[in-house]
Amino acid sequence: MAKLSLMFEEKLVKEVPVGSRPVRIGRSPDNDLVVDNLAVSNDHARVYFEAGRLVVEDRGSLNGTFVNDLRVERATLHDGDSIWVGKHHIKVDATGDAPLPYESGRKTTAPMINETMVLDTKVRRDMLQQAAAMGERTQFAAGRIRVPTIVVLSGRTDAKEYVLTNKLTTIGKSAMATIKLRGWFKPQMAAQINQRDDGYYIGSGDKIPIVNGVAIPGPTRLNDGDLVELSGVRLNFIVRE
Amino acid sequence: MQISSGGATHVGMVRTNNEDCFRIVSPLNLFVLADGMGGEAHGEVASALAVETVVKHCIEGGENPSAPLLGEAKPGLTPKSRRLLSAIHLANQKVFQSAEEHPEQQGMGATLTAAWIDGPQLSVGHVGDSRVYLLRTGQLQQLTSDHSLVAEQVRRGLLTATEAEQSNLQSVLLRALGTQAQVEVDVEEVGLFPGDVLLLCSDGLTRMVTEPEIAGTLQAEPIPQSAAEKLVQLANESGGIDNVTVIVVSFRPEPKGWFSWLRRGAQKSEGGNGSAGGK
Repeated sequence: MAKLSLMFEEKLVKEVPVGSRPVRIGRSPDNDLVVDNLAVSNDHARVYFEAGRLVVEDRGSLNGTFVNDLRVERATLHDGDSIWVGKHHIKVDATGDAPLPYESGRKTTAPMINETMVLDTKVRRDMLQQAAAMGERTQFAAGRIRVPTIVVLSGRTDAKEYVLTNKLTTIGKSAMATIKLRGWFKPQMAAQINQRDDGYYIGSGDKIPIVNGVAIPGPTRLNDGDLVELSGVRLNFIVRE
Repeated sequence: MQISSGGATHVGMVRTNNEDCFRIVSPLNLFVLADGMGGEAHGEVASALAVETVVKHCIEGGENPSAPLLGEAKPGLTPKSRRLLSAIHLANQKVFQSAEEHPEQQGMGATLTAAWIDGPQLSVGHVGDSRVYLLRTGQLQQLTSDHSLVAEQVRRGLLTATEAEQSNLQSVLLRALGTQAQVEVDVEEVGLFPGDVLLLCSDGLTRMVTEPEIAGTLQAEPIPQSAAEKLVQLANESGGIDNVTVIVVSFRPEPKGWFSWLRRGAQKSEGGNGSAGGK
């Protein structure tokens, strides 16, 4: 069975096997791997099997989850990888088998469907359920209602809080903007937030937004708790449940 | 804002019939695109019927704003969005009824994507996996959610976006026009800015051409008609496994002064005016 070893410097702190339940990593004591360090979020990351592969998923932590020096939101793990959370790291031993009897060969053997087709409600339910059988946790995630919100921390805007309900949210002085900036010399369209299937992405407009202290190089996915600064306003992206 | 538009459709390099259909209604600034399905040429019937119904209902709504509205009235929508929503519900009924009345048309359906521009306000109505994109400050942003199985799996966190692009099940839709008596229609409202470029396309484009390539082409070709033709050509050069249809709409700031007033007269004849059928 695959296992995770929590290390501090070169000392082993704790070892846990990865079973059919996800391994929860974070600062709060109800985690499977408790990392007692202020740089670690309460619910920081999870490791679990999906379609026979070991996957690490960042839970929207403030300081991020790193796999071999690379910051990740979600990544497939390989034997010998190291997951870094704060100053601790977790060694990955993926030599064991996946506990879920999910046949990962299904995807490659499924016939290519060229003709567009529509699933009727029953077939659709079955297929989604089958897909969900890959991991029950993802079904839980879908069941919760998540409300992405922008909270204004400082600066002049027309409201203090905005719930992101549209595919595209514009930030600027323009009358067409959703998040309206007030004051002189504010750009008409400072930045924009686009909802994609896998999350909310902030992109530049007339200004380049600064997310968690770093000017974004291109459209960047927002994580729960991210701090956005632009044109004299500070915004907090929060996903409420 | 000055609006100019162009559209193109092509059967692709593999298929023998084009089941896509589009219409540009310049006087209304209404743009409608549908991708039909169901074998034996019935996909063509479905997409054409859907497009015609939407266009007709929107024109009638323009002449008589108090004409009855179909479907659930969502609060807070502009009159144009409500009319568009109603038009798509009506199109669903028409395609569904036609399939009920003609047994040989059983199983036919269509995706439908429509954009209606009213001043700086854009209304988008959508069912299926055709897409609307907005190119703004060099970024291509999708304004519609695909109603496909793989997209739903990405939203539920079961697949990554990359895995979805490689999936064999991309053609499986969860929602389409005309397959059920009732359909849920997505509506989006977006404020437009000068310099924005709008793109409506069938999946024949997005399966063949990557988003960066699309963005690059739209930026390199400022004339909507040339951009639309170039995108169709790119899809065919990359294999053209499906019918491909593209509508490009660009918004330019209203020019000021008498010199530009003269030029505006010349530009009127250049844009994609009138309506284009999708064969």
